[in-house]
Amino acid sequence: MNQETEKQALLRALLKGSRENASQVIKQFIDQDHTIIDLYEYLIKETMYEIGYLWETGKISVATEHLASAIVENLMNEIYHLIATPEKKEDLAVICSIENEQHQIGSKMVSDVYEMNNWNTRYLGANTPKNDLIHFVKSINPKMLALSMSLFFHLPELESTLQTIKKELPGLLIIIGGQGLKHGSQDFLKNYQNVFYKPDLFSLDSFLKTQNQHD
Amino acid sequence: MTKDVLTESANHLSQACCETIEEYKNKSSLLVSKMNASMLKKSNLINIVGSDNIEMMKDNHANHVQFISSILKYKNTAVLIETIIWVFRTYRSHGFSIEYWSVQLNEWINILKEELSQNIFDEIIPYYKWMLLNIPSFVLLSEQNT
Ligand code: B12
Repeated sequence: MNQETEKQALLRALLKGSRENASQVIKQFIDQDHTIIDLYEYLIKETMYEIGYLWETGKISVATEHLASAIVENLMNEIYHLIATPEKKEDLAVICSIENEQHQIGSKMVSDVYEMNNWNTRYLGANTPKNDLIHFVKSINPKMLALSMSLFFHLPELESTLQTIKKELPGLLIIIGGQGLKHGSQDFLKNYQNVFYKPDLFSLDSFLKTQNQHD
Repeated sequence: MTKDVLTESANHLSQACCETIEEYKNKSSLLVSKMNASMLKKSNLINIVGSDNIEMMKDNHANHVQFISSILKYKNTAVLIETIIWVFRTYRSHGFSIEYWSVQLNEWINILKEELSQNIFDEIIPYYKWMLLNIPSFVLLSEQNT
């Protein structure tokens, strides 16, 4: 999909700090019959990666990066009416970014994909302390847990969370994703049953759809 | 030098054992505070890291030990190389000098020697020597595609 024009327009709006313009770009994109997953993967994700590159190469400040994230999170809230489905199943999923992980836009998108597949969700956001997560999960007994990790150096935290869950909540289905698991860093997962790596929203969506068929 | 050559040499670095990972990790805060202290003592620090960059330097040191802990545990050559290229590009574009890499890595080596048990130091040091030796390649690679 070539969404270069829209990407440039969204990038300009975010750099300018104009929530209004950014909202307009999103609205037009959706009006062109693109799906929410297309919007997330091709427009918002790509534009945020570009924002990251501009910070990395010293072209924008941390403040501008924060501004862009804040606008994007607002835009995602604005389109919630397109995500919420009236016919919820009984299934419940808990979604969060792991302990110390401050990046939460990816996990918020993941939560929306569950909702679009008629799941009930509890989205806990960024930096969820391991012990609190375990208590919370025990208290509401979800069918799935989805964890996001953006930085490779949070792998020890991810593994420690998986180990605790294996002991205390054996059998819980866990989906993990995020940029920190690129380049084969997810290989250690073969030591875990019930833990699956999904690199993007498309693969998560297909996985949830096959789950729906099994129900 | 291409990434392939770096990959080939990095593949010879061995995965650390549990004890090494534990000791490095447990001493991380100490290593970082000694590292920051010794860099702050340098009279030419501003020339090395650029003005207004002390906090960013400290962030880098904190991230460095977390990153190395993870690399020691989950050895991953592609992540090692890509992350070093990323670090070089990011810090250079924020005003750090090329000299920062050799100063920093030599300083880590001194501190690790002081703080780690000999056998643990021996296991970790090949990583630092490899990074030090390959600074010129990382500088080149980080200047491409910008
Ligand atoms: C915004 C941002 C921040 C914000 C986050 C705010 C927020 N509300 O989330 C703040 C300021 C907190 C931040 C902090 C830092 N950041 Co930052 N940040 C970014 C930025 C620009 C965008 C992140 C984002 O939203 N991306 C868009 C989302 C949609 O993409 P995503 O997370 O990959 O998610 C997608 C998939 O991975 C997948 N996915 C993600 N999670 C999951 C989970 C499941 C279950 C599934 C199925 C799929 C899935 O689905 C999504 C859609 O495809 C990125 C750039 C980038 N490349 O992402 C840098 C980036 C990730 N950050 C980076 C860095 C270095 C940092 C800091 C270390 C900086 C510092 N020195 O302090 C800190 C670390 C904080 C911490 N401990 O976590 C670097 C990482 C580089 C590296 N090699 O590891 C990046 C790549 C910037 C760069 N180009 O240099 N950051």
